[in-house]
Amino acid sequence: MKQRAKLQAKFTNGTHHLWTFLRILMAGVLLWLAAPSYALEDQSYESLMKWIEDSRPGAETVMPGQHLTEKDRQSLLEPLIPHSAWKYYFFDGMEMEIAATGHYPAPDAWGENMASDYKLDEEGTLVGFTGGGFPFSEINRDDPNAAQKVLWNMLWRPGSNDYNMPMVTWLRSEDGSLDREMEYTSVNTTYARGDKSLVPGYEEVKSKKIMEFRSPRDMAGAKNMTIEYVDHYKEDSGWLYMPAQRKPRRTLASERTGEMMGMDMIREDLNGFGGKVYENNWAYLGKRKVLATVNVSDNPEIGGPSLWVPHKTRWEVRDTHVILIEPKAKNHPYSHRIVFIDAETYWTHWMFAFDKEDDQLLRMAQHFLKYSESYATEPATQSSYVKQDFSKNIGHKVFMHLGETDINAKKPHATITHCHVAKRDFTPARAKQFYSLRNMISGRR
Amino acid sequence: MIMSRNRIALFLSFLSLTLFPAVSWGIVDVTDNLELEGYVKAQNIMRASGLHDGELIQQRNTAQLEGKYYFLEDNKAFGRFSTGPIEEATFTFLARGVYDSVYDIRDSYEDTDDKGKSEYKVREAFVDFLMPPFTLRLGRQQVVWGETDNFRALDVINPLDLSWHWSRESWEDIRIPLWMARGIYDIGKIGPFEESFFELIVIPWDFQPNKVSTDPRHPWAFTGAGLAEIANSAIIGDELFDLDLTIRDIRPDRKLRNGQGGFRFKGILGDVGVSLNYFYGISATPGIKVRGDLTQLNLDTQTLSAVVDKVYPRTHVLGLTANYSEDRYTQSVFRLETTLTKGIPVSIAAGAPIGIDSDGDQYDTVRQSVVMLGIDRPTWIKLLNDQRTFFISTQFFWRRYLDHSSFYQGVSSVIPASIGGEVIADRFVSTNTNRLDRDEFVITFSASTSYGRAGRWKPQFVFAYDPRSTGAYNKLVLEYLWTKHIVFKAEQHFYWRESGSEQGPWSLGDLWGEAGNRRNETVFSATFQF
Repeated sequence: MKQRAKLQAKFTNGTHHLWTFLRILMAGVLLWLAAPSYALEDQSYESLMKWIEDSRPGAETVMPGQHLTEKDRQSLLEPLIPHSAWKYYFFDGMEMEIAATGHYPAPDAWGENMASDYKLDEEGTLVGFTGGGFPFSEINRDDPNAAQKVLWNMLWRPGSNDYNMPMVTWLRSEDGSLDREMEYTSVNTTYARGDKSLVPGYEEVKSKKIMEFRSPRDMAGAKNMTIEYVDHYKEDSGWLYMPAQRKPRRTLASERTGEMMGMDMIREDLNGFGGKVYENNWAYLGKRKVLATVNVSDNPEIGGPSLWVPHKTRWEVRDTHVILIEPKAKNHPYSHRIVFIDAETYWTHWMFAFDKEDDQLLRMAQHFLKYSESYATEPATQSSYVKQDFSKNIGHKVFMHLGETDINAKKPHATITHCHVAKRDFTPARAKQFYSLRNMISGRR
Repeated sequence: MIMSRNRIALFLSFLSLTLFPAVSWGIVDVTDNLELEGYVKAQNIMRASGLHDGELIQQRNTAQLEGKYYFLEDNKAFGRFSTGPIEEATFTFLARGVYDSVYDIRDSYEDTDDKGKSEYKVREAFVDFLMPPFTLRLGRQQVVWGETDNFRALDVINPLDLSWHWSRESWEDIRIPLWMARGIYDIGKIGPFEESFFELIVIPWDFQPNKVSTDPRHPWAFTGAGLAEIANSAIIGDELFDLDLTIRDIRPDRKLRNGQGGFRFKGILGDVGVSLNYFYGISATPGIKVRGDLTQLNLDTQTLSAVVDKVYPRTHVLGLTANYSEDRYTQSVFRLETTLTKGIPVSIAAGAPIGIDSDGDQYDTVRQSVVMLGIDRPTWIKLLNDQRTFFISTQFFWRRYLDHSSFYQGVSSVIPASIGGEVIADRFVSTNTNRLDRDEFVITFSASTSYGRAGRWKPQFVFAYDPRSTGAYNKLVLEYLWTKHIVFKAEQHFYWRESGSEQGPWSLGDLWGEAGNRRNETVFSATFQF
């Protein structure tokens, strides 16, 4: 009887263990089946906000030298890649090389020649600032203007201009097929340099940029010049030269919400946010560690099933400020925009914009950067159509924008760009000549 | 009628383009300093004068090659010779070869003179020198001034080739490049102006008139209103005479005294882009002087031998332009162009008082003003496109004859000759009851956007309307960027008028929407570009 009871107990116990095991197994299977599919497909604003609020991993979760793959996804990658991007960045065969989180000093004289009499007005707009350093050396999360201050630091970050940038852009469908390829070059220069302008007499100008298309032929020779002003309330000035018209045409700068040249981005998406501060409401969501392609050795290989995302490249865990931007305009395509901006360098790593119709992801962008001093040990690839001296990059102590991926989640479609950046210093006289309306009245043909 | 073998030729020519090997290249770098690009294009036009008829009127095959040679960089020519203040220089050329196979495959074109059938030209060839703050472009080139699209006001420096598809092609392809020097001195800020420069143009000898075909056998001949025929008769009293018309082209010869030139100052005043322009030119549109002193009436042969001179008067064009980007309320770019031109040739009706036609040659020159107001606006129409804006552009164009007479004639007509109410077969006479209005207006509207994942479907809608004659023109375009290299384009052109029979000056539906001269067209083109 005792034996029987013992056996029954053993059986009951065993059944209990088996049942427990089965329940765990079932839960695991369900989790395996349900949780990832939910996580992959859910690209809502709420889910990204939840991801931002939930786990806040430290940098120590991943180790330098690690090569992370799909199997590291749940344990290591999900906490460090923003949730809305999982669908694109996690795939069979994926590989991410983890590098130590670096410290990237700003240029030597950065912050030493700044004007001091600047302020944020009631709209959060920076008034009276003329560059030369970050306008806000500290970001306090309790500051009601913390988000705008992060943004202003991003807009005035070192290295955002002063280069020749030949680019190649690929526009790809979800099946990876190439729909269009474009080649173009951007040349731009910072005028506002703190206590002086590059070109005396042009103190109202923040920067000037000329961008010219090289291919395909239906766009070759098209070029535009943009003048950005120190006064944020003053709209940019722009001219577009089309070879078919053989003359420049004044353009409207205030339309920033339509897709450009068939690409999967709008003008307001540039560098995470390229619009007007006073046209939006702002909130600071705190700091968040994310993986970023912050100092890649070269233009990253592009992979994934759609050939949309960087693959087999170098990532770092970076501390970022997370800011929430809500357009005030009722007819704006976005309900919310969330931008992850590096807490040290103030370059944008990730941007997510949500559709006003349903709060689902509409567009996202992720940027590839390389620190100028890395060119000493890791030369970058030349563009296919112009050779440049990258050694000139060394010593500037700024980041080079090596490209980005811009995804339209609703189409779905992506624009992937590789940039081949070489620093370029203009003399005042040369800048005056180059960035002139005179230079816009004729072109390649 | 199109012969069956010609259908095969049409099909093969299309096939040869579409199956061209899709080699992956953009601009071709021949060397580090030499780049080539260009295209091969086949354009087919079907003309339908009604719902149930149609004829192939064009099968234009074009090959264009463009090159740029960077022979001087960083103050060194060819990498070795120091060039002092010249920092950069390039040589650019653009050559075009054209063969319109419709002249060979259509029976009805067999007896034409083959004008317009082919063209092989280096259209543009110029050298650019950069010597900051001065730039100089020397050679055969196009120069475009003004804010107006597709109407002549300040954009008069280069004549137009209207012989093969009137002005319905990109003006880049129909401007006739001229040999000239174009120097620009960059000023920058001066007084209240920013981004200012001064431009000087000198055309020492190269004058060419607008190219217009008047042979009615050519599909895009300009034969005036009425029938597409040549007037071969004249009626004097009640008698019919053969007309033997001699046209003497008194074109300015290639002498320095026939040079042209002009200047422009352009800058930003406040936020308004402004320019002041002056061009001392020669009218590319000829005037017709009737040489009564050389006209003879031979009663024996029943022939009227008439002589007219095509003359090209001197013109002075003074212009002012402005543009302004208004971002706050209208989110539009406003464009303004005004000109005052002296030396516009006009025809005067026979029998005009001596005060109007003092030389008795039915010819004079007058002053004319133009005001164009244009508005460009990128506009969201989310019902039609929720990804990209529509680029909407509209223009209001007002031309006024400052010197005006009710004897000034407009477009003439060719009509059947008739005596005593009886029409005489194969005899045609020219008549002109059309008078120039002092004020002429035209309104244009265009809208374009792009569809598809990479914006490769590009529709465009164009509308032009003359409120006085009620003549109108519509163009619907759909361009498809099939690959990086291959582009297809389909267009439909409609000419129509709302009412009446008044003739306007703009070559719209009042001229080419009329029965017998209707030019509604379907255009299909395939382009291989590199």
